[in-house]
Amino acid sequence: MRSVLQIPINFRDPRWFQISFLSFFLIYGIFFLDWEMDITRYLVIFGSAIIAQIVCTYFTTKDYSSIKSALISALSLCLLLKTNLYATAVIAAVITIASKFLIRYNNKHIFNPANFGIIATILLTGDAWLSPGQWGNSMLLLFIIGITGFAVLFRVGRIDTSIAFISTFFALEFMQNVIYKGWPLDYVLHEFSSGTLLLFTFFMITDPKTTPNSSKARIIWSVMIALLAFFLTNWFYVHAAPVWALVISAPVTALLDKVFIHQKFSWT
Amino acid sequence: MKNIILLSILIPFLFVSDAIAFCGFYVAKADADLFNKSSEVIISRQDKHTVITMSNDYSGDIKDFAMVVPVPQILQEEDIRVVEHIIFDKLDAYSGPRLVEYHDRNPCAPVYDMMALESVSAPSKRNASADWAEVEDEDNYQVTIEAEYTIGEYDIVILSAEESDGLERWLLDNGYKIPTKASSVLKPYIRSDMKFFVVKVNLDNQKMMGFETLRPIQIEFESDKFMLPIRLGMANAEDFQDLIIYMFTERGRVETANYRTIKLRTDRNIPEFVVDDFGGFYTSLFDKAYEEEYRNAVFMEYAWDLGSNNFVKCDPCPVTPPSITDLHTAGVKWVSRNYQNNWGGSDYVGNVFMTRLHVRYDRSNFPQDLFFTETPSRENFQGRFIMTHAAKGVIDCEQALGYYKQVQNRRENEMEELAELTDWDLSDYNYYLKEYQVKIDKFNKRREMNKGGLGISIVMLILLSALSIRLERSSRKYN
Repeated sequence: MRSVLQIPINFRDPRWFQISFLSFFLIYGIFFLDWEMDITRYLVIFGSAIIAQIVCTYFTTKDYSSIKSALISALSLCLLLKTNLYATAVIAAVITIASKFLIRYNNKHIFNPANFGIIATILLTGDAWLSPGQWGNSMLLLFIIGITGFAVLFRVGRIDTSIAFISTFFALEFMQNVIYKGWPLDYVLHEFSSGTLLLFTFFMITDPKTTPNSSKARIIWSVMIALLAFFLTNWFYVHAAPVWALVISAPVTALLDKVFIHQKFSWT
Repeated sequence: MKNIILLSILIPFLFVSDAIAFCGFYVAKADADLFNKSSEVIISRQDKHTVITMSNDYSGDIKDFAMVVPVPQILQEEDIRVVEHIIFDKLDAYSGPRLVEYHDRNPCAPVYDMMALESVSAPSKRNASADWAEVEDEDNYQVTIEAEYTIGEYDIVILSAEESDGLERWLLDNGYKIPTKASSVLKPYIRSDMKFFVVKVNLDNQKMMGFETLRPIQIEFESDKFMLPIRLGMANAEDFQDLIIYMFTERGRVETANYRTIKLRTDRNIPEFVVDDFGGFYTSLFDKAYEEEYRNAVFMEYAWDLGSNNFVKCDPCPVTPPSITDLHTAGVKWVSRNYQNNWGGSDYVGNVFMTRLHVRYDRSNFPQDLFFTETPSRENFQGRFIMTHAAKGVIDCEQALGYYKQVQNRRENEMEELAELTDWDLSDYNYYLKEYQVKIDKFNKRREMNKGGLGISIVMLILLSALSIRLERSSRKYN
């Protein structure tokens, strides 16, 4: 435990930005979007994620600075995953953290932890769900997520991933719904002002640890996720399709890293 | 406050033998048509099987009535039926926001008279007829009549179309008064491979059957899409429209996937005078909540586990919970009759969850149709407002002041809640706050007067004593 207390707080670490922005969204949701103030559930998620991270780190790297990543994953779970059961919240947090340590290839974890945790919990427990409509479509929120998202992405150098994903997805949705089907433009704008989609674009798909290392590979990868999300949305009527598309596309990262060789990302 | 309510709920059970004494059951039913331009829909969905029952508040001439609904497939005759409107009335009364009333006991009355009464009431809330014109040349319209039926008082055609202009012309040539911009709204549905369920009234049948109003139409189909097309109805409407959706699913609560679903304000204490206009109160509350949520939220008004394993089908119940007949009428076909005689249980077996959603939509704030998602949450929710009536009768004992102060505090809180929930002009209700302040002041005055009276009595007593002593002494002298 001593080493936990001795972490030098490095404020240049972009994860601090992520933690503060995600916390802000949680507070915004509770106070402005009428989310249920289920503090116990949030505490259960945080507690389980941190304990799981400490335990896993103790048996592996012993680098406790990774607790910041656990906080980010816990915040993502609080923001996206809904459940009425505390046991499910614990399962989600433990799967999320454990996936980082257990599902690895070439010294890199394969899945975005929160993304994997969310999908696995939904499929395994059957009593958790995604609530894509919960963010509403406020332009103010769109603006805030956009600005804070860019602030983090500048520091981690993953703007290419976000831009490639969102522009491909928008182009496909625009062609399908506005040009082909004939819906007015605000049909698509409504979809792209959804808090869930923006949070995914700026804070989930861009996780530097699970995106391909090379910029070219990341763009190919993002376009692939956008294509998959588009098919899932329009042909299989899956809500929050990008979240499902990411978990399906994650294993391709390893393949892309083999083709496009580039230096691996490090937080500090 | 919670404790008080709990106590009040328990008391009728503790004093069952006195039940006959408290029969002042008050039921305030707000009149129908609380919300103008409203429609009601029942959607029952199990896996991909969907049953939709539609009730429109059409108030014009019956012969002008027509309805066009995009449907995912060609419906067969057995997939379409007409149901009685009473199912909507039942579901509305069962799931509507409710007023729960409690009556304070008189603090000065003996305990056996201690009766609290809970009563529940609910406000109810409330779109060219001739045979199909002979289509001269169907190919010109690029419209195919997939099926034609006469069901009950309705003539129904199922159309598929190649392009929206043709469909628009077909509808116009067949006597439908469709809005000018209809073609642009029809196009996306054609491109989504949807068919059109087109209804008008068969006047002969309607006369023969003798119905004054149009009965709801029910359709059923298989579809991957869990949605309700609302955009077509907005083609000619600038203003907003209210829609109440009664949702029946097997697993759990339903929410909208592309709009924010939020819970209605609930469990608030409201002043006693609201009893005369609970309907008006709820309309004002909804108007205010709608504005506060930027006009683009969907409100959950009720969510309840109606599964046969859940014995509490409502709490409190404004009316009897839906029976198997009601559920079957509403399209909940997956429940089967329970032939076992289990007292207090359901007359059906199966999992059912009911969600009531209230949407106020308009063109600018609802650019997409409503898409739904069924969650695994079986958490119950109800729109419930609590009213506590002050004790009636003579209150004349030491506890009176404490009770008056308690009522005064409660009324202050109720007025604050009312100001927060509605836009009502509260200056009209100043008397409500004054009533108990006046009683408190009177009580204090009387007490002071009593104190003064006591002082005077003591002085008088002393004086009288002194006088009598003196008289006694002087009489002794004379003796």
